Amino acid sequence: MADRVMKVNAFTTFDLLDASVEGHGFEEEAFATLNVRTAREDPEEITLELELDNTQLENVPAHADRVTLSADEARTLATELQKAAERVDDTDQ
Amino acid sequence: MPSKVERWKDEAYGMEVRDHLLRFAEEGWDAIPEDEHDAWFERFKWWGLYHQRKGQESYFMMRIGTPMGRMTPEQLRTVGEVANEYATGPVDNPEFGEAYADFTTRQSIQLHWIKVEDIADIWEELESVGLSTMQACGDSWRNIVGSPVAGRDADELIDVWPIVQELHETFKGNDLYANLPRKWKVAMTGDRRGSGQGDINDLAFEPATKEIDGEEVEGFNVNVGGGLSRKEPRFARDIDVFCRPENAADVAAGMSALFRDYGDREDRFNARIKFLMDEWGPEKMRSVLQEEYVDYELPTAGEGLRDEYDYNAGRSDSHGDYVGVHDQSDGQNFVGLYVTVGRMSAEDVIDLADMAQEYGSEMIGLTQRQNLIVGDIADEDLDDFLDEDLLDEHSPDPHPFMRGSIACTGTEYCSLSIVETKNRMVRYGRWLRDNVPLPEGVDDFHIHLSGCTASCAQPQIADISLRGMKTRKDGDAVEAFDIGLGGGLGENPTFADWVKMRVPADEVPGYIANLLEAFEEERDSPEQSFRDFVAERDEDELAGLADGEETSYEDPYLGNTKMTWYPYAEDTSMDASPAPTDGTGEPLPSDD
Repeated sequence: MADRVMKVNAFTTFDLLDASVEGHGFEEEAFATLNVRTAREDPEEITLELELDNTQLENVPAHADRVTLSADEARTLATELQKAAERVDDTDQ
Repeated sequence: MPSKVERWKDEAYGMEVRDHLLRFAEEGWDAIPEDEHDAWFERFKWWGLYHQRKGQESYFMMRIGTPMGRMTPEQLRTVGEVANEYATGPVDNPEFGEAYADFTTRQSIQLHWIKVEDIADIWEELESVGLSTMQACGDSWRNIVGSPVAGRDADELIDVWPIVQELHETFKGNDLYANLPRKWKVAMTGDRRGSGQGDINDLAFEPATKEIDGEEVEGFNVNVGGGLSRKEPRFARDIDVFCRPENAADVAAGMSALFRDYGDREDRFNARIKFLMDEWGPEKMRSVLQEEYVDYELPTAGEGLRDEYDYNAGRSDSHGDYVGVHDQSDGQNFVGLYVTVGRMSAEDVIDLADMAQEYGSEMIGLTQRQNLIVGDIADEDLDDFLDEDLLDEHSPDPHPFMRGSIACTGTEYCSLSIVETKNRMVRYGRWLRDNVPLPEGVDDFHIHLSGCTASCAQPQIADISLRGMKTRKDGDAVEAFDIGLGGGLGENPTFADWVKMRVPADEVPGYIANLLEAFEEERDSPEQSFRDFVAERDEDELAGLADGEETSYEDPYLGNTKMTWYPYAEDTSMDASPAPTDGTGEPLPSDD
């Protein structure tokens, strides 16, 4: 198998998440690593990167996906996540 | 635009940081402005100090660089005394006690729980015997690695010790090379073993011969751009340069100046010279070195000795290390002693130094396999030396599972690691020794355990590579390892093939047992090395060789040790940490 694409250390946002990948005619589940990154110096954007464990996948090659977000987009995402988290919390109660 | 670290370095770096450190030592931990911690901790690295991880604020790891791991017994004794006096924390380590020293894969020494208040006293003690923490870390010439027994080894082409001393003197504390874009790791090998492990260094001098003007000259071939970190491991590449011993300092100066001027200062992740090598290739590297940095005509590469290399090479016909009794060129012996995951109690360090002195040894060597060598043991003293009680623990003939174990610092102290490493590797080694029969003919088996992708335990160049991860087991997140197989150096260096992801840490010994059983059943013959066995198989076959399995092995560190303030404390929660503390170890009042 190929080595991991993303580095993983104590600063990685999540080193253990449940994930899945879906395509036409296939769907696979795997553990994943998810990380939020900004440049060290004068960051202008936020990078969100995701890698599913390639040992658990047959239909896609080893890879990581990245999306870049502006500060506003990151805040929109954070707000959405916050709201969603509250809904889950409400269900738990 | 230069990175933030570059800006901090512009404000203060190198030699001048010493005065600041002495001021902080005088005024105490609180004198380091809290909003400047990151900047100061970055600068302190140049003087060998790394701030320890979260939960251990105000404590530092101190690294002492010993060129080629070479020391005198007196220097070793001083290290033991410093460890005893200053390297003690609030809680003992259950395997290693109160005070200890770590011998690293780059032949340096690391001490933990160092308080800034003690730095002046520690430097005074170390420097009184010629030891230094200068440039042990940071963006500069790091400790030069190579064979500690150069000049004594009966199996060498060139005695590189005088050259390494020259390089050390030239490039330590030299303003011209004090601020490089990133770390600069140099290896110099003069023996036939390949013990410098030059392939994984930024700049490597490999022993070679070349016919020049009808005369056979001994010297070095020059390789550039090796390194293991992240997903981009590289072996140093041949730039087609032969270097006479008297030109080594010129070539080293040229290469490090080239790196200083052309290395990437905007993106630290892209700064090591291996990335410049990716971009330029060896031909351009050579031509820029020739045209801009060296004022004599560089000869093309000579005839190397790679086919003889056996150090960490996974060969079945020789041990890939210095453990055991070896001939010296002067008729005496050097004895390589096993040190459990490179960590030795301060008491043993002192006793060993005294013992070496009693036997007339003038040389102690630290090896890249985290072991220790005592040189200059006369034939007539050898039996007595081997009978010493201290060698029961630090054996010249350890079990192969113990002998081949290497581990990095891990969550005990390191900010990057995501798993516990050293104590776990000790437990793995013992369990394997007691429970797993070695396949016939296997005398060496290298297991390198690293806590994250930073690769400090050199996981990619071992029979079995373990790299820290997490997984879920019975609903709980537990520490785990990605597993690689079949890496090693030698004539044809190869990186491990990664074959398993997230094997729970308590199932790793079972995995190794199953793997060795499969190896013994499926290999061509008892002569086939494990590394050759792996090389013959494709990814799917390797992944299918074995699975993790629970056994009688028990793992006390399965939970999330990076979330503890110290994994072996009675109360491990962050809130229970006494840090930060003052110079006497008393907790300082918190701001909130």
